[in-house]
Formats: sequence, structure tokens, C-alpha cells
Amino acid sequence: MNIVGIAACTAGIAHTYVAKEKLVNAAESAGHKIHIETQGTIGIQDPIPDEMLKVADIAIIAADVKVSGKDRFQGIKTVEIPTDVVIKSPNKFIKKIEEIARKGD
Amino acid sequence: MSAYSSKKIFNILKQHALTAISYLIPIVVSGGFLLAIGNLFGGENIESINESFNFFDTLTTMGGLILGLLPVVIATGIAFSIADKPGIAPGFLVGLVSINMDAGFIGGFIGGYIAGYIAKYLRDKMKVPTWAEGLKPMLIIPFISSIIVGLIMYYILGTPISLLTQALNNFLLGLDTGQTLLFGAIIGILSSIDYGGPINKIVFAFLLTLQSEGINEPMAVLMLASMVTPFGFSMSYFMQKIFNKNIYTQMEVETLKTAFPMGVAMITEGCFPIVFNDLWRAILSTGIGGAIGGALSMYWSAGSPVPHGGLFAMVTMTNAWAWFAALMIGSLVTGIVFFLLKKRVDKDAVKILTEEDESDIDMDDLIVSK
Repeated sequence: MNIVGIAACTAGIAHTYVAKEKLVNAAESAGHKIHIETQGTIGIQDPIPDEMLKVADIAIIAADVKVSGKDRFQGIKTVEIPTDVVIKSPNKFIKKIEEIARKGD
Repeated sequence: MSAYSSKKIFNILKQHALTAISYLIPIVVSGGFLLAIGNLFGGENIESINESFNFFDTLTTMGGLILGLLPVVIATGIAFSIADKPGIAPGFLVGLVSINMDAGFIGGFIGGYIAGYIAKYLRDKMKVPTWAEGLKPMLIIPFISSIIVGLIMYYILGTPISLLTQALNNFLLGLDTGQTLLFGAIIGILSSIDYGGPINKIVFAFLLTLQSEGINEPMAVLMLASMVTPFGFSMSYFMQKIFNKNIYTQMEVETLKTAFPMGVAMITEGCFPIVFNDLWRAILSTGIGGAIGGALSMYWSAGSPVPHGGLFAMVTMTNAWAWFAALMIGSLVTGIVFFLLKKRVDKDAVKILTEEDESDIDMDDLIVSK
């Protein structure tokens, strides 16, 4: 599965990046391809490449705050979730994502 | 909305508040530091530019200007989070009205939600003839939402909120010793146990309201509580050497080497890897240390005019050394409790969290859309 997503937290200095790392590790160990963009206080880093967006099966918004560029996910099934849930249970979350993606078609 | 559970609605409301706070933090930190450094060197507010002023007067004045506008920042942030750009005008206005009515930060907070939802409602529901489409975002939404929310503040909500703000301040100024200790302990617990997460940020917003009224002691407690974990865990590291009970793996010791300096600057999150390896023991020891440190800091009336900065903010604090002592005692308590609770580990063990260790996902935390 191809997963794209955004991570963003309130202070924008720590949870954002931990959430990204946990998601990437969990998704890759489950055999998925994943790209997570971070929107911290410093601004957008590691933006989602267009070619990844085109092939994305599902989008994750792991955020405690409003994120920008949500419109890129139009037409892609999108799951929004607070960062702490992703940080606590990344593998279970990826399992959930798989279920949700399957249900869609 | 009706399809959403109450938890989902709460999560959405919380997200708007946190978004506003994320915009607010850099503003408040810069303003707080400007004001504090200016005050430290005898800066005074510049009333008129016709009079002479010095460098430190400019710092004090700039800081004061920023902090005085916090209700506007929070109201605009919340309204923008709810309604996007159409929320900015009514949010800005309701923040100004809130200042005007002495309804302060709480007024800006509540007003921001009202402004945002009115703007969103108009944006999504209002039908206008085709010729007026261009006027809708430019004129109609900002004007109508501003006037509605402004009038709601002046005629309905502003006065009760301003009375509430006053009552709260009087209550906090009049605490006796036992209440002071208890209040400090509660703030200490709430702002430490989720390691800079949403509970901490909501307490932070509340304490900012107090800070804008000149009550600086609770914010000192929050700062301390954010630091007991990195300091305390580092103390546990030395205890394991002294008492020959190994509680950290080699990887966790490496983590501490970056977590400690981050802790000095009041960033707790460096401790995450250690916390998540042993969540409940970590939360318990942090909470106890935060409570004791917080109670002492309140009792010794240490106050911080800036809301962030850790040890660097000490130059701006009142009773800074009392605050430092409270921090050390709180950290020591966290360190001891953590050291006692932790099981002995092999220092070369690498703990790998498996899926079974993770907590289940509450479907109410998810929002799925296409």
C-alpha cells in the first residue's frame, strides 16, 4: 500500500517528529511505502512528492492542530488522528489503516 | 455534526484551541522575554515618543504591547482554525472587544469560537445571488460575522466573563497556605503527566490568562513540571551507579545524553523513548515529582513572567533560587520514585515494543473522510 501523510503537533518541535518516525517505522515493517510530511513550528519539511500523491492509497493526518495543504488529499481516503495515539500505538494504527483502506473499495 | 460522538466533538474543539496555541507560543515567548529583560534593567513603558527613552524602555514597551494583545491572538487563531480565512476578521474584532471589556484571555477564547462558527456557518450555508458571489468573502461574511459576534460580546457575554476573570484572580490572590500547596501540586501534576501533550497545553493556555493578569507563580510551576522528568531521570542514572541497580539500557543512557540538555531548555520530549518503554512507571514518578516541586514553588512564591525558556528564564524570575530549589527537589523525588519503581534490566538489552504492548485504538479518535 502507498501511504502519504502529514504530522503536526501544538508546540511543533517534538511530537510532530516522533509521530512521523513511529508511522514510518510501523508502515515500513508492515511492508508499505510511506511518505510523511512534517508541519512543525519551523514550517513544512520533507513535503510529499507529487508522484507519491498520485499513487497514494490512503492519507494520514496525524495532528493536534490545523494542517495546511489538506486539499492535496482530495479523492484519497483520509484518516485524521491525534499525534499521541500514533505515538502510543503505531503498529495497531497501521493495522486499522489497512482495514479502512480495504473497506473503501 | 450530529453523527459525531461527544468525544469526537470535544476532540475537534480541542484541536481549534491547540491550533491557536501553536500560533500563540512563539508570540508569547518573544513578548515575554522582551518584557522581562526590559524590566530587569529598569525599562519603563514608553507613554509618548516625545519623551526621551532608552534601549530597555523599548524592550519593555514592545513586550507589553505583545502581551496586551494576547486575547486577539487567541481569538483570531481559534476563529481561523474553525472557518479558515473568513474567520480572521471576526476573530480579530472579538479579541479587541474582549480587551476593551476586560474580559481578557477567557473572553478571547470563548469569543474566538463564536466568531469562528458564525463565519463558518455563513460561508457554508449562506446563499447569495451570483452577482454577489465576489462580495461574499470580501464584505458580507467578515462584516456580518463581526457585527454579530461583537454585539454578543458587548450585550451578553462580555460582562459575565469579565466578572468571572476578576473573581478567579481574587480567588487565586487570596489562597491560604494549604490551598497554595494544593493548587501548586495540581498544576504540577496536570502540566507534567502528559509530557507536553494536550493536557499540558490546555493548562498552559489557562496559566497564560493568569500571567496576562500579572499572576506569574502558576506559570513557574508549569515550567518546573516540564523539567522534572529530564532532570529526575538523569538523577536516576546516577543512582543506578551508586546503588548498583541497573535500570537503564545502554540505548536509554544515550537518550539521556540528549534529553538532559533539552530539559535545561524546558523541552521534555527528549525523554520520550524512556517514557514509552515504561509508560506507567514514568508517568507516576513524573506526576509525584511535579506535584511536590509545584507545591514548593507556589509556596515559595517563585514567579516567572515568561512562559518558556527553562533555566534561561531564571534571569527574569522572582525568587529564582527558590524556584531552582523546588525544581531540584521535585526532580530528585521523580528520580527516586522512578529508580525504585523500575525493574532491574540488563544494560545491553534492547527492548523492542511489539504490537501487543500497544494500547488499543479508540475509533472515536479517528476521523475518516474521502
